[in-house]
Amino acid sequence: MTKENTKVKVAFFDFASCEGCQLTIVDALQTHLSLLDVVEIVQFREAMTEKGEDYLIAFVEGSCNRKSDEERLFKIREQAALVVALGACAHTGGVNALKNIQPSLQETREYVYGDKADWYEVYPTRPISAVIDVDAFIPGCPIDRGEFVKVVKNVLLGKRPGIPDYPVCVECKLKENVCLLLEGKPCLGPISRAGCGAICPTYGDGCEGCRGIIPHPNENAMKDVLDEAGLTLNEIMARFTMYNAYQEDQIETAEKTI
Amino acid sequence: MKLQVLDKAEISPLVEALMEDYRVVAPHAKGSKFTFETVTDPADLRLDYDTTILPPKKVLQPTKDRLATFTMGEIPQIEDVLEVTPTVVFGTHTCDLKGIQLLDEVFSRDFDDTKYTAQRKETFLISIECLSPCDENAFCKDMGTMTANEGFDLHLTELDDVYVVDAGTEAGEELLAKYGSAREATEAEKQELNQKLGAKWPKFNYKLNFEAAKLPAMLEASFNHPIWDDMGERCLACGSCTTVCPTCYCFNVADEVDMLLTQGTRERYWDSCQLEEFAAVAGGENFREGRAARQRHRLMRKGKYIYEKFDELGCVGCGRCVRTCVAKISIVESFNTIYNGRK
Amino acid sequence: MTKSIYTPEMMSVLEIEELTPFEKLFTIESPNGELGHDPGQFMMVSILGVGEAPISISSSPSRSNGSFELCVRRVGDLTNAMHALESGAKIGLRGPYGEGFPIAKMRGKDLLFAPGGLGLAPLRSLINQVIDERASFGRVTILYGAKDPEALLYRDELEEWLERDDVECLITVDNGDETWDGNVGVITTLFPKININPRNTVAITCGPPIMYRFVLMELLGKGIPESQIYLSLERRMKCGVGKCGHCQIESLYCCQDGPVFNYAEIKGYEEAL
Repeated sequence: MTKENTKVKVAFFDFASCEGCQLTIVDALQTHLSLLDVVEIVQFREAMTEKGEDYLIAFVEGSCNRKSDEERLFKIREQAALVVALGACAHTGGVNALKNIQPSLQETREYVYGDKADWYEVYPTRPISAVIDVDAFIPGCPIDRGEFVKVVKNVLLGKRPGIPDYPVCVECKLKENVCLLLEGKPCLGPISRAGCGAICPTYGDGCEGCRGIIPHPNENAMKDVLDEAGLTLNEIMARFTMYNAYQEDQIETAEKTI
Repeated sequence: MKLQVLDKAEISPLVEALMEDYRVVAPHAKGSKFTFETVTDPADLRLDYDTTILPPKKVLQPTKDRLATFTMGEIPQIEDVLEVTPTVVFGTHTCDLKGIQLLDEVFSRDFDDTKYTAQRKETFLISIECLSPCDENAFCKDMGTMTANEGFDLHLTELDDVYVVDAGTEAGEELLAKYGSAREATEAEKQELNQKLGAKWPKFNYKLNFEAAKLPAMLEASFNHPIWDDMGERCLACGSCTTVCPTCYCFNVADEVDMLLTQGTRERYWDSCQLEEFAAVAGGENFREGRAARQRHRLMRKGKYIYEKFDELGCVGCGRCVRTCVAKISIVESFNTIYNGRK
Repeated sequence: MTKSIYTPEMMSVLEIEELTPFEKLFTIESPNGELGHDPGQFMMVSILGVGEAPISISSSPSRSNGSFELCVRRVGDLTNAMHALESGAKIGLRGPYGEGFPIAKMRGKDLLFAPGGLGLAPLRSLINQVIDERASFGRVTILYGAKDPEALLYRDELEEWLERDDVECLITVDNGDETWDGNVGVITTLFPKININPRNTVAITCGPPIMYRFVLMELLGKGIPESQIYLSLERRMKCGVGKCGHCQIESLYCCQDGPVFNYAEIKGYEEAL
């Protein structure tokens, strides 16, 4: 019913990432075929060869890990009316930002790339919002395909994206999962952003906060609870930083270690 | 009606017979805990459960409930959704029974919430007497809910070999007559019943240091009590305490649309005053921003606000909020702290 | 089958007027000729697919003319969608809900209106009713404060109020510009300019949350008894009928006990102001 020329043109871009979020979108296109009735994909390296530059919405997967990538992000920002960060790497820096909290970026680079380390350009990991203005984000590692579809609908309706600001515990409790923390197992559910349907705790794995931390989390209370669950301080910090290592104020320090 | 009894072996056939005509919802085991689920096999029924993660209010106010369907476009149209599933809730504890009585009041006072009341009318409650406390967190004795004289259609009390069945309504009597094979209680069974009911009393402990009836007046003087800041420091604002509460009923409403943006549904969801956005308006103002104010609101609702509007305390003493809190915030301890420190 | 209290009735938007860059006035056809509202009441407004929100009724029952008016600021999903509407559109409405202004208690009294910003929207309903029944009331004073000249609502009516001999109307803006030669300063700067008989004055105020404290200080400073001050409060609402819990002010429900409250009755509620 939506005519071809009224479809919103969208494009997908990737930076430092596993491309799993884009794979989830390929998957969503199979389960929600009618997505293609409302949007026209003009660029999607992972799924097609054509390349159009007249997109209105840009979905960007991946974090920014080198200075030279910034230019590409600026161009995307210039063209797109709406830039959506897709997935944990683009949204929070994701696991990539773990390198920011290593003692030395140079040593990390050498650890990863061996004697070819100098061939590879590296700078501290940034979520894309640290490089360009971002209008919306779809969190998660990987994203939830239902949530992707919901965000597309909301954006087309002119609404806010509709990403929850409340914690995973809400969804976990509604599912009547037996609480992992109460069973002495570590879980970041109380301070991590919901929207995943508490998928990890539902299957018995504690939440690792891949969808980011809720606004105004009570981090001290969370640390106390994890301490109670038997985690050492190092283990607590490891869990806190798994997906949420990026801090704006650490960039300067990290840059000096390269 | 005369006191009747059901042989223990008659419970399964009763449930099975009810399942012919009703959705039967009853406690089932889930890992180390219990949940109310729709019965598919009467053998899964666990009348020996301690407590459930969520209370049976979910039967009457589903966690996600469709209010209406609509079409969008030039001439938008909206239609009520009012689907009622005849239901028997089997094995409700008396604290939860009280919770449902309060919800009945909330959803019918002033404006009739047809979505709730229509389902309520087709929902029958078969409760069961607790002969010992479910755990140390229950404070039903304080809240006057460790037994019940009303609010049920049928009420079961377990004796050594039989269940005594008490009918609270005509509908209950009819259910028992139609689906069960009860017989009149013998004198010996009546004596055993009295003995059991008498013996249970000392097994339950008072947890509050004062009479619950004093709560509204005590809280009236406690709006600026330092305990709220202390709770705010510890609270993770995860919303679990309100989600598991049998007397919390706050909800949010949101529209969902199809991919072509031509039609959709209006859904209501459980909401929680513990979540940061609960009292925030579109303009940006948040009328209950801090965790301390939100915890205060929860306890005030339970001990004062609900009482002022509905003439009943908003807490039934089930202990779920205490059990579920990973930060170990206890409504009982909080109330006691306020009571002990009062001037 | 009984109709659900949550299902709105679809009504036609007859006219949309842009009042400021952020506010539009929607004229909506009343379903049965009359909405039958009291000034101060609100409607739950729906755009299907977008959502629902409470909006105060801005028109006076005395000027109903088969329609009513809602003044809407663009601040969220629903109000954004409303601003994108064109006249002729159908929107969903439920209501009117809540306690409005107690007009009966105001007859024979002097009235002092002190709206700030969008707070004029619900007060305008009462102001126009008072003007239409002018003989039933004593002196009428309006003190209106807006952020800047561009933000002034209902300019035509403001002109009319300014010109009337039987209404004293003073307007101020927080920040002036080259088009503005009137008062500059927050609303409280207008109070020293008026003389009132406090014992016989009923004051009515509505505005952003931060404003109330200062306006109340002025009103009380003028000697107006607490029981003669009325406020219209804003809260989040999802149902409008005392069920969803969002609008609670301690044990009060803004949707049922308000949105209009008497200051003497609400001042003990610390969550109110």
